[in-house]
Amino acid sequence: MQLTLNEKRLLLELVKTETTTPEEMGTILDRPADSVVQYGGLLSQKGLAQVDRAVTTTLTLTEEGTQYLKEGLPERQLYDSFSESASIADLNTHPHAKIGLGWMKRLGWVKIEAGNVIKTGDPAPSPIELALKNPDAAPADIKKDLLKRGLVTEEESVRYTITITDEGKKLAAAGITLTQETGTLTADQISSGAWKDLSLRRYDITKHPRPVWPGKIHPYQRMIDEMRRILLDMGFTELHGSIIQGAFWNFDALFQPQDHPAREMQDTFHLAGKQELPVGWEKVRDMHESGGETSSTGWGGKWDPEKAKATVLRTHTTSLSIQHLAAHPEPPVKAFCIGRVYRREAIDPTHLPEFEQLEGIVMDTHVNFRNLLGYLKEFYGRMGFESVRFRPGYFPYTEPSVEPEVYIEGLGWVELGGAGIFREEVTAPWGITCPVLAWGLGVSRVAMLRMGLTDLRELYQSDIDWVRNVPVVQGGRC
Amino acid sequence: MPVVSLPYKYLERLCGIDRKTIIDHLPMIGSDIERILEDQVDVEFFPSRVDLYSTEGVARAMRGFLELETGEEVYPVSPSSITFSVDENLKEVRPYIGSAVIRDIQLDNEAIISLMGVQEALHWVVGRGRAKVAIGVHDLDKVTPPFRYYGAPVSRSFVPLDYDREMTLTEIMEEHPKGRDYSHIVKDKPVMPLIEDANGNVLSFPPIINGELTRVTESSKNLLLDVTGTDERAVMTALKVLCTTLITAGGRCESVTVNGVVMPDLSPTLRNIDVTSCNKLLGTSFSADEIATILKKMRYGAEKSGAFTVSVRIPCYRADIMHEWDVYEDVAIGAGFGTLEAELPATFATGCEHPIIALASAVRDICSGLGYLEVMPFTLSNEEVMYTRMQREPDPKALHVLHPISEEQTLVRTDLLPLLLDLLRMNKRRELPQRIFHTGDVVSSMQTYQKLALASTHPGADFSEAYATTDALMRELGISYMPAESADPAFIPGRAVDIMVDGKNTGVFGEIHPGVLNQFDIDQPVIGIEIDLHLLFPGQKETKS
Repeated sequence: MQLTLNEKRLLLELVKTETTTPEEMGTILDRPADSVVQYGGLLSQKGLAQVDRAVTTTLTLTEEGTQYLKEGLPERQLYDSFSESASIADLNTHPHAKIGLGWMKRLGWVKIEAGNVIKTGDPAPSPIELALKNPDAAPADIKKDLLKRGLVTEEESVRYTITITDEGKKLAAAGITLTQETGTLTADQISSGAWKDLSLRRYDITKHPRPVWPGKIHPYQRMIDEMRRILLDMGFTELHGSIIQGAFWNFDALFQPQDHPAREMQDTFHLAGKQELPVGWEKVRDMHESGGETSSTGWGGKWDPEKAKATVLRTHTTSLSIQHLAAHPEPPVKAFCIGRVYRREAIDPTHLPEFEQLEGIVMDTHVNFRNLLGYLKEFYGRMGFESVRFRPGYFPYTEPSVEPEVYIEGLGWVELGGAGIFREEVTAPWGITCPVLAWGLGVSRVAMLRMGLTDLRELYQSDIDWVRNVPVVQGGRC
Repeated sequence: MPVVSLPYKYLERLCGIDRKTIIDHLPMIGSDIERILEDQVDVEFFPSRVDLYSTEGVARAMRGFLELETGEEVYPVSPSSITFSVDENLKEVRPYIGSAVIRDIQLDNEAIISLMGVQEALHWVVGRGRAKVAIGVHDLDKVTPPFRYYGAPVSRSFVPLDYDREMTLTEIMEEHPKGRDYSHIVKDKPVMPLIEDANGNVLSFPPIINGELTRVTESSKNLLLDVTGTDERAVMTALKVLCTTLITAGGRCESVTVNGVVMPDLSPTLRNIDVTSCNKLLGTSFSADEIATILKKMRYGAEKSGAFTVSVRIPCYRADIMHEWDVYEDVAIGAGFGTLEAELPATFATGCEHPIIALASAVRDICSGLGYLEVMPFTLSNEEVMYTRMQREPDPKALHVLHPISEEQTLVRTDLLPLLLDLLRMNKRRELPQRIFHTGDVVSSMQTYQKLALASTHPGADFSEAYATTDALMRELGISYMPAESADPAFIPGRAVDIMVDGKNTGVFGEIHPGVLNQFDIDQPVIGIEIDLHLLFPGQKETKS
């Protein structure tokens, strides 16, 4: 059994006295009585001593009580102020008349007849008078009177007694050595080898430490990094690009008709300034007007190059995907992007004007719609969504289009992102002849599902306590 | 996307099958069920499928999908003597009009509601809020042909729907609820579009309101349709969708001659589908016959026309079929997405991180190693936070949003440190010390590049902590720097340093000025560091838009 030095010293003294008080032992051990109680407590946890706690109340005279002890209680002073009898009116001039008269009557010292107070005989000291001399000895009801009259105050005091147990005696008999204990080790003690002779104090491991908050990567960024890692593992090249885009790349190159409401100021953040159209823009114009050289009819009408020059905050990362494809029209291409996108939406718990989007594209000679479903299943599977199913979908720049749904315990089937094969109207202007599989995903939506958030703002205007308390590894996933 | 209400009774009657089967299969033809109510289901259809904006249209598609009735519906149009003249003075105003007559229709209340629903959806999706296309449906028996579509003066008057008195066009635009909603489309034009009959009775003031005279009720038997607009193709699309919907509802279609052109043309469009390329795109191995059968389920006319070709008749209401792949998608939908097995291809490629993101990851490692917690503030900010509170001059290269949605988001951030201070403000009741950092995009002129900022707040946060932290940061980034006294007004004079690399100012650190702290409502000392990563690593060019 491991005892601290102080526990050992106390135990050895207890062998001599059997029972002791902390005060007495404090003197012997040269420690405050409080500390002795603590040592006793530790011994008792180990069954070596018993600590008894007795609560006693002590009554102490108040200032008023002390004064009355000297001068007599108000009723005594009043009684002594007149002889056989006196009129109430006369007595009322006495400073203690009010309290004194009541008590004199209650104690039977006087009776009142026709407005006169008449003494009934020689009064013996009342129990309160007696109690004032030694309040602690008074019977309980008198103590109550004393307290009520404000003559005494009550104080609780706790007295401990410490008694050695048989167990303690046995241990002491077996022999206890007293060595000084060491808390913090010093460099000297380590290098000199002095530690070998030290008794290193054992610490209380039940006490929780003060929390330490490490620096760390934001839980949302960790999730983004997890998605990046999955896509890098799957052989995708990462894209990164400007958040400022021309309407040409953001809309026109993706076969978004020029009168589509999503392009308007109402839904998209527009910025001042014009963006130059890239080489080859005429083919995009032809695609819109008549379908170019494909089997498409196009949208018809006139395509306005000025409208395509508008500057916008990108509404999707697809604007980067198409630029990457235009620069790399030869197969194979496997690329992804996770980046911030912008929609002109008022802020509420589930809508923000800016959020992250993930997008993956695969271009190769023989890829097809079933391969797209294969990529979706694989990606969602690696994200931890085991069950995936597919429904028809609609996106202006893909055909066929599909809406993947994943099964989430407690929520059921949840739509998560969109996918499709880029329309030929999108790829043909850039000389791309292979199918391009594409899928996109609202990353912040996954974060809400994963982290159980009800308000998207928590990701961007984080409560530091929340970030501090979200574990890096959650449910075995990191 | 438009939400269409489908009343069960009418839907079941038109489909000939129970509501549960219908609801179960709705998502698989391409829709999102919004809500299932006691007597109707509200369904969101894709904006491309304007033919599904009516109960009649959904029933047509559903009967095919469930193989109760496959192949194309035929829409006969008999000739009539009704004519429309279109006046030249509408050429710059609203030049196109499509028209047709529907006879012998019995409209019960549900059919009228469905008709109003399809009109609303068409107005919104095809009509772009009536600017491009607007629709009028009239009781033909209340008026006398021939009809005239012309540009009228604003002083012209008639009794608009829901009113019992004559109003001038100006009054309608100013007082009628529909006038207030839609007058912006025409109010600046020299003349107003108007449709009149032979006796000068007004049928409609497109795109705003019809006349009360031709109101359609349950007792209306014969209808006249008018579709006006600025885009001929869109006008005809809306007309075809309306006509086919009303034929499915039980009406007979008769043509109208508009300036010599007989319409509507409800005949299908022909396309030859190549079986091989369809299978190649979908990853399937359907035969020509199988594709024909599937397409008939999707209500196309389809026959095998060769070993590897299918001749397809595309119903006139399928305005979304622009390209062969649009038909291929219907092959996939008709076959059922559930029957298509997911399969990963053998495409070989190696993964590759983007160098800018790789650098950001390294920066995050360094900062978290220094005990800093990452935060991810918005990229949209405002002058108040970005400059005023920082005691800095507004950056002339900042990009301002043209139509901000709130005062909070008026520009794209040019710096990160102000956003960290704003976060410290939000977290001022949280335990100290607080050390936070962020790395991410900022925009200057049209260029996006990356910055890094750190902030630390606690009672002992001081210049030496800022210096030591910056020094460690630069060491870990592998960059040697020289300190130069900084005049940045966001910091305490004499306690701020410009981080000079190769003679260029690449960042700043120091103790944040108490005036700045007051403006951010922060009570404790704060140190701040902000570094231009693109200046430290000039190999990483700015990303041009």
